[in-house]
Amino acid sequence: MTDSRTSSHPAPTEEEQAARPVGTYPPTQELLDAPDDPQARAEREAQLREAWKTPRGWRYLSAVNNSEVGTWYALSAFGFMLCAGVLALLIRVQLAVPDNDFLSADRFNQFFTMHGSAMMFLFAVPMFEAISILLLPAFLGARDMPFPRLSAYGYWCFLIGGCFVLGSVLFNVAPKSGWFMYPPLATEQEGIGPDIWLLGLSFIEIASIAAAVELIVGVIKCRPPGMRINIMPLYAWYVLVVGVMILFAFPPLIAGDFLFELQRSLDWPFFDPDRGGDPMLWQHLFWIFGHPEVYIVFLPSIAIAAMVVPTASQRPIVGYSWIVLSAVGVGFLSFGLWVHHMFTTGLPSLSLGFFSAASQAVVIPTGVQIFAFVATLMVGRVKMIQPMLWIAGALAIFTMGGLTGVMLAIAPFDWQVHDTYFIVAHLHYTLFGGLVFPLLGGVYYFYPFFTKRMMSDRLGRISFWTTFIGFNVCFLPMHLTGLLGMPRRVASYSSEMGWNWLNLLSSVGGFIVAAGILIFAWDLVRPKRDQPLAPRNPWKGGTLEWSHDVPAEAWGSRSVPYVSSRYPLWEDDKFLERLDEGRFYIPDAPEGKRETLVTSSVDAEPQGALPITGPAWCTIWAAAFTGGAFILPVFKLYWLALLSGAGAVACVVYWLWTATAQVPKAPDRDVGLGLRLPVYVTGFRAPGWWAMFITMLGDATAYASIVFGVFFFWTARPDFPPEGAAHADATLIALSALGFVLAWGATITAREVNRRDRRRAARALIGAGVLCTLGAAGAMGLALWLPGMAPSSHAYPAIMYALGVWVGAHSGAGVVMLLYCLAGSWAGKLTPRYDADLVNTTLFWHFLCLMGLVTALMMGVFPRLAS
Amino acid sequence: MTGRAVWITLPLLAGCSGAQSVLEPAGRDAQVLADLFWVMLAGAVVLWLLVNGLILYVTRIAPQPLSRRGAEALIIGGGIIFPAVVLIGLLVYGLSEMPKQRAEGAGLTLRVTGHQFWWRVEYWPDGADAPILAANEVRLPTGQRSEIKLNAERVIHSFWIPALGGKTDMIPGRETRMSLEPEKPGTYRGQCTEFCGESHAYMAFGAVVMSPEAFDTWLEREAADAVAPETQQARRGQQIFLSEGCGGCHQIRGTPADAQVGPDLTHLAGRTTLAAGILPMSHSALRDWITDPEAFKPGVEMPGYGHLSDDDIGALATYLMSLK
Amino acid sequence: MKDQKPPYRHRSLWHMVLAPTVWAFHFVFCYAVMSVACIKLGAPDIARLGVAALTVIALGIIGFLGWRAWVQWDFRPGDNYKHDRPTEAQRREFLGHGGFLLSIVSAVGVIFDALPIFIIESCI
Repeated sequence: MTDSRTSSHPAPTEEEQAARPVGTYPPTQELLDAPDDPQARAEREAQLREAWKTPRGWRYLSAVNNSEVGTWYALSAFGFMLCAGVLALLIRVQLAVPDNDFLSADRFNQFFTMHGSAMMFLFAVPMFEAISILLLPAFLGARDMPFPRLSAYGYWCFLIGGCFVLGSVLFNVAPKSGWFMYPPLATEQEGIGPDIWLLGLSFIEIASIAAAVELIVGVIKCRPPGMRINIMPLYAWYVLVVGVMILFAFPPLIAGDFLFELQRSLDWPFFDPDRGGDPMLWQHLFWIFGHPEVYIVFLPSIAIAAMVVPTASQRPIVGYSWIVLSAVGVGFLSFGLWVHHMFTTGLPSLSLGFFSAASQAVVIPTGVQIFAFVATLMVGRVKMIQPMLWIAGALAIFTMGGLTGVMLAIAPFDWQVHDTYFIVAHLHYTLFGGLVFPLLGGVYYFYPFFTKRMMSDRLGRISFWTTFIGFNVCFLPMHLTGLLGMPRRVASYSSEMGWNWLNLLSSVGGFIVAAGILIFAWDLVRPKRDQPLAPRNPWKGGTLEWSHDVPAEAWGSRSVPYVSSRYPLWEDDKFLERLDEGRFYIPDAPEGKRETLVTSSVDAEPQGALPITGPAWCTIWAAAFTGGAFILPVFKLYWLALLSGAGAVACVVYWLWTATAQVPKAPDRDVGLGLRLPVYVTGFRAPGWWAMFITMLGDATAYASIVFGVFFFWTARPDFPPEGAAHADATLIALSALGFVLAWGATITAREVNRRDRRRAARALIGAGVLCTLGAAGAMGLALWLPGMAPSSHAYPAIMYALGVWVGAHSGAGVVMLLYCLAGSWAGKLTPRYDADLVNTTLFWHFLCLMGLVTALMMGVFPRLAS
Repeated sequence: MTGRAVWITLPLLAGCSGAQSVLEPAGRDAQVLADLFWVMLAGAVVLWLLVNGLILYVTRIAPQPLSRRGAEALIIGGGIIFPAVVLIGLLVYGLSEMPKQRAEGAGLTLRVTGHQFWWRVEYWPDGADAPILAANEVRLPTGQRSEIKLNAERVIHSFWIPALGGKTDMIPGRETRMSLEPEKPGTYRGQCTEFCGESHAYMAFGAVVMSPEAFDTWLEREAADAVAPETQQARRGQQIFLSEGCGGCHQIRGTPADAQVGPDLTHLAGRTTLAAGILPMSHSALRDWITDPEAFKPGVEMPGYGHLSDDDIGALATYLMSLK
Repeated sequence: MKDQKPPYRHRSLWHMVLAPTVWAFHFVFCYAVMSVACIKLGAPDIARLGVAALTVIALGIIGFLGWRAWVQWDFRPGDNYKHDRPTEAQRREFLGHGGFLLSIVSAVGVIFDALPIFIIESCI
């Protein structure tokens, strides 16, 4: 690397800054067929094994590889599901006979709240994440996820949060206002139940967003060379769509949680109608999350079906584009339906009609997917492999749920059956059919991939039929129970109502379902050491995941393949041979590092061979401290929580400092097949940049939800802002806006100046950026405080303060990032050429500046116009 | 708990199954929706059998493989064209029904407020400037659409009489409205259908539909002050009612008791059920309720009066049962 | 060949999802118009007119996007449904096909969303 300070060249262009791939691409037939030396091959295998080996003994917990993290995640999610299932059985025991006193009303309310919350937050979405973490790299011929430590961190957060939330049931302090926690009931609830729900789940939601970020980046940037967007496995498409959905669906709930917790701990009256608040705001925010949520859990399971059906038909899927279209279509349209959960709240008919129509519209892309599968089955010759049985059962159940869904989308009909057992029936039909059955079938299908052994065909069939029959015995009668008038969430009912036999039947059915699931669970965990290893591709599938070695090797894929078809195992007979012999890309690990190939987003042209992280303890520490930051406020230990939060930040900074954006020894490396790739990329070639970009999109969505709150109050309440209310000081707000713009400008300039090797100037600018940020945040705080705006008096000052808190916290993050870059510049980690940290910080600052400006408008301009 | 079991097994005046059924409509709106349901059910069954029959056929019977063109036709026809047509038809019908079911009532207006765990009911006949206050039961005349305005005290509730029409939520801080057009006289049952706390399951109400003449007669009587106690026992009961401070929560018009914290009891015994639809209107049920309301409705605000002697409670119950 | 650089949309996923993005904007604006018109102003006619106008605009844009995607898909000649080879042409056509199908779904979504204004005339 030349010292460009002394050179007389003009400043390097961005092109030159970013090292480029050098050599042959795409690989020629000659290169692909070239034989290699067995001695060298053995050496390379040894290197790879060493770099990828799983830690042993108690160090095993520090593993971050997707096979370990994915397995823990899946088993934990499954464990939580069993707990939630036990709660359901207890509910069914209570409801089996009228006027039962098996459970007190209070316990019953805790149990149904936790059953729903645990199933949705601790099982449905985490299970999707877990399976994707396990499978996605394999589908893409990659060795690991792009940010393994982030996956591990997400997992530990999930485990801590899940144990905390679910554990509350054992102490009789579980939340008990329903999984949707409507205020005012939930905000006014005494005790720590709602706080457990809020805080415990918030931090699980953050783990979900982390997983979404990883999955999106994995699909966009870490595909094997040659896997253009049109030959990507359907599972990858679904992961992409669902990842983006998580990104836009979870933040409104996070924003809602933020407001809810502010109300509970500081008494800021967002949902208190006596002080200008409105309980409906929560309903909107919750369901803007809640509806896409059910598609978030449905689409990945259909993705599993999309992988099983072609294998069962032994031919490529029919209508690949149709399925992509439907997945994307459902992904978008599902965001426009949320008010159908609020049809009975008295909103105007025009609005209800709008959402009623949108709810019907989404049926079309959903139906297209199903017909595409049916068409594939019809065009091929189907072999009823065991997983296909689960898929067929799933379709039978899901179509029933979908048909009742069409009924419910007609608002007047919903006015009759909303909040009755008809809905319970509908939701379980869609969830079991759309999530549970495909998942169980998927486990049977992918089990030999995870463990190189097969599950039992016989037990699988018994489990299927038991679960299927039990499910219908339990839930089919509920349609009638609801139509006969039984409301949801009732701890008991009178024997006069005519619901006795129906409830008894449902309870019996519930136990049969449990038996079926237990048979499956047994088949899953029973020792299989005496069983022979499964053949390498037991179902004769065509996609990359079936190329992994039997017995398993920790490296996942022996080499990263060059792919030229959707079903490489079916269409290219030399493929497996080449893969195994390491005659594709990065078949070795010369520096003992774990690496992944980074490719372009649409055409999968190689762009870099980037190091990725290996085993670490800092992720567990970070998760523990994050857990503390969220759990301690439940017990009102706010200062301790802040300290814990600071600890979490410290761990994250340590982790980033030691393992990301490291200045490389050599700028590029020979990856095989005549290609040299850079080992450090910045900007939108880099996974790290994408991670920041995607995270900020999610963050911006949460922010936008709070701004939505402002407009909601303005529309729904006549007293927003109230007559004669104090507004934020205009001058200070203007100063604050200026401060944000200056800080943003300083950051961008610092990046440019640093590139031109004027490091001192860059550092000075960073410092200026820090000062401007602190000034801007301070000015904003003063602007609110000086005029005497009292947030607990009315929803108007409360939401202005909430915006201020949000911007303040983000300003803190912005300052930390700038200081990190400053430290990096001093320590030689951030150089003119290797400046990923500063590039990513600048990206963050684009968003922060925008947030700062919008907040200034909302605080300074909007209320004065609205008054 | 055993006490409650006994009461619940006695037949409620509301009758047996069907009083709270969507499928046994007694009002115009409920009739339309029940008919719609049967049509949609038939369609759903047919469609379900078609799609799953196709899958069964294809996976079990292994017929001649379909051509690519046929497959595309299936996806376009079955996935796009057919659903679009059916859904638009359903939507047009359903959407056009909405304004009809929400049409403004003409004449009688009710104002119902949800509390934890009882219903405050006000009758505002056409042109009235003061309401007739009642609780825990709703009476409506046939042959007209009555307006019902809804509110809530602390938490969200939902007002639903399945035999007559759809439900509407009751949200604190905002007034929601609905209207109902009953057609068949009878006694039906409604229940709270938005989770509202510990005793959500025990918040219901009787819904009595009467002919317009019978309704007018009833309303006149309801507007009048409470019947004066005639027997010795009843008079003693009234004394206990006043001395024990029951008037601090309950109003009985025509007596000094005029608080509106709890349900109005002026014509308590004229209602079909007690304690918001969960107990029969009988002397013994009243006794048990007054002694220990918490046993029937955990979390209820009303304190128990177990400290009174059996005789006293009996007298109270006698008095209250006289308030027809 | 340098001057013949193909347009960005031939290799852009963002462009493929432009039509649903238009649907999303249509949705957000309709929702805002309906809420403000009905709840704040009590004027159903403003709501209906607003939605009608937004719908016409949205359908126009989606129509344009759909036509462009159709051209990119290059459906004729030949039965061009298969895009399973990793060539530039097939990638371009796949993105076009996807964009075209998404335009249809988005148009259907926009039409469904606007239906209520023809049937419901009041804010009640």
